[in-house]
Amino acid sequence: MTSIDGGIRDKGAALEPAPQVAQATAAGHTHFRRFSAFQRWVHFFIMVSFSALVLTGMPLKYSDQAWAQRWMGIIGGVQSAGMIHRFAALIMVACVISMLGFFALILIKSKGHFWGPGTMVPNWQDYRDLKAMIGWFVGRRSRPHLQLDRYAYYEKGEFWAASAGVTIMCVTGAMMWYPQLTTRVFPGIALNFAIVNHSGGALLAMGFVVVFWHFFHAHLRPEAFPMDKAMYAGGLPLEEYAHERPLEYERRIREGTLDEVLVAPVSETRMKVQNVVWWIITGAALFLWAVFTLFVVWVGSLWIGSF
Amino acid sequence: MALLAVVVLAAPASAAEFPLSHGANGRCLTCHAQPDLGTITVDGERKSLTVAEDAFHQSVHSRLDCTACHSGFRSREHTVAEKDGWYEQAKLTACSDCHADQFAMYSGSFHGGLVMGDHDKRAPSCADCHGSHGIISNESPGFRETVLPMCEQCHEEKAGTFLDTYHGKSFRMGETSTAVCTDCHGHHKILPQSDPDSTISAQNVAGTCSQCHEHASSNFASFLVHVDRSSPKSSIWVWLMEMSHSLLIAGLFLFGGLHCFFYFYRGLREGLYHRD
Repeated sequence: MTSIDGGIRDKGAALEPAPQVAQATAAGHTHFRRFSAFQRWVHFFIMVSFSALVLTGMPLKYSDQAWAQRWMGIIGGVQSAGMIHRFAALIMVACVISMLGFFALILIKSKGHFWGPGTMVPNWQDYRDLKAMIGWFVGRRSRPHLQLDRYAYYEKGEFWAASAGVTIMCVTGAMMWYPQLTTRVFPGIALNFAIVNHSGGALLAMGFVVVFWHFFHAHLRPEAFPMDKAMYAGGLPLEEYAHERPLEYERRIREGTLDEVLVAPVSETRMKVQNVVWWIITGAALFLWAVFTLFVVWVGSLWIGSF
Repeated sequence: MALLAVVVLAAPASAAEFPLSHGANGRCLTCHAQPDLGTITVDGERKSLTVAEDAFHQSVHSRLDCTACHSGFRSREHTVAEKDGWYEQAKLTACSDCHADQFAMYSGSFHGGLVMGDHDKRAPSCADCHGSHGIISNESPGFRETVLPMCEQCHEEKAGTFLDTYHGKSFRMGETSTAVCTDCHGHHKILPQSDPDSTISAQNVAGTCSQCHEHASSNFASFLVHVDRSSPKSSIWVWLMEMSHSLLIAGLFLFGGLHCFFYFYRGLREGLYHRD
């Protein structure tokens, strides 16, 4: 494939139409399904359990603050917060386990090919994409049209950070849940480490998910604003997708697998219902973003003030 | 007097049967209920001599005569001998007449040794922890909340590290069933860790933890309860972990923050947020 500027195409470069597209369009399959129903449900359960974990855990972390004490009173005190926290943790663990099973299936199906285009494994293209974006940020070049395959560099980075994070949070959380069992094997200081890691990891996860990364890329990124519908609706107009993820589009045409991910658009009525829900989620997300940005600024001022 | 006190306590008496002003209490309170009664100590400090009448009336000792505890005071205008007798001796042992067991334990404790052996005025005697006239039962609601502020007066640093643990955090959040100072360190017979009889000595600490945490091992008990995460002197390992976490958080937030900010800024300048 020819490319300009070391693999970063310029804005608006046209794609050649393919006969597969014409076929699919004729069959009414004009939309691209980015995430399967399984993936969207897992995302939903992670979203709900993550929120519950943050809302029941953060007041304990900042127990000396008046807002934390008020909020703890509202959710019914430490005992009830602990119950909700553990229950939400079990949902999160179930999500992690089902995703591991999902990856195992992919691994078996693709006969061990776990890396390569279309996977979460980083490659040189991601590095070039990031470099081009930074060049654009600092005004050294015009806006790049990223050569994205299935996942962008900012999605891969988040995936691995979240994977490491959820592993640490599950392990340290379980250690504190069963301290007697933990100290059958480890010395008591392991529990001190668990607390430091769980507490710091929670702030890191919350800041990254809500303020500095995930919310931004899913809602506030210029191309996505006010919301990237891929995870919610399941189907995006094909042209839109071919423009945003050209490498995956071209790869699928080349491999002849494009029809696997093409679906018919949802009905008018369903779209109307979806739009209402969509605006509610977007509004809530933007509100949370504002609240947590203030929160992180406050934490930052505490941190700077501690020196 | 001791006999009288025991008899009074043993009888199933209500406050109504023994009103506050029975016996000589009314006479004492003629002066000592005055809100501005006070004196200047030899150290030049102002000392209030006012008895909070309402608090006394509601206390577990409301049925007692003033002189049941304040033995030795007889005259209307207290003599120097009476006052010295009170402050130097009677004040420290007044409770032992009725609470002999507790007093014996206290006498053998670290605090008791400081007070009675070293005559250290800063160390707590009975009333410093339990209060005096407004004394409440250790089973009454609100008693457990008084423990931390009590110990904190001298053990400020330990109180701070306690509040950084799950025990302390949940206690502050209103969960009074979690452990406070006295649950681990004992109450009347508090001894330093180095003493084999201490509740937190190497031999006993696991047993102390297992009062709440079933099957707690010595490994379990080696958890650092009073650790100051911000100080390398407290525990170098915990501090290193805390610091590396802080740096990781600061670094990732800085990178993420800049990436988002510039993406947003460029997008705004180039009109990418405009929708038809």
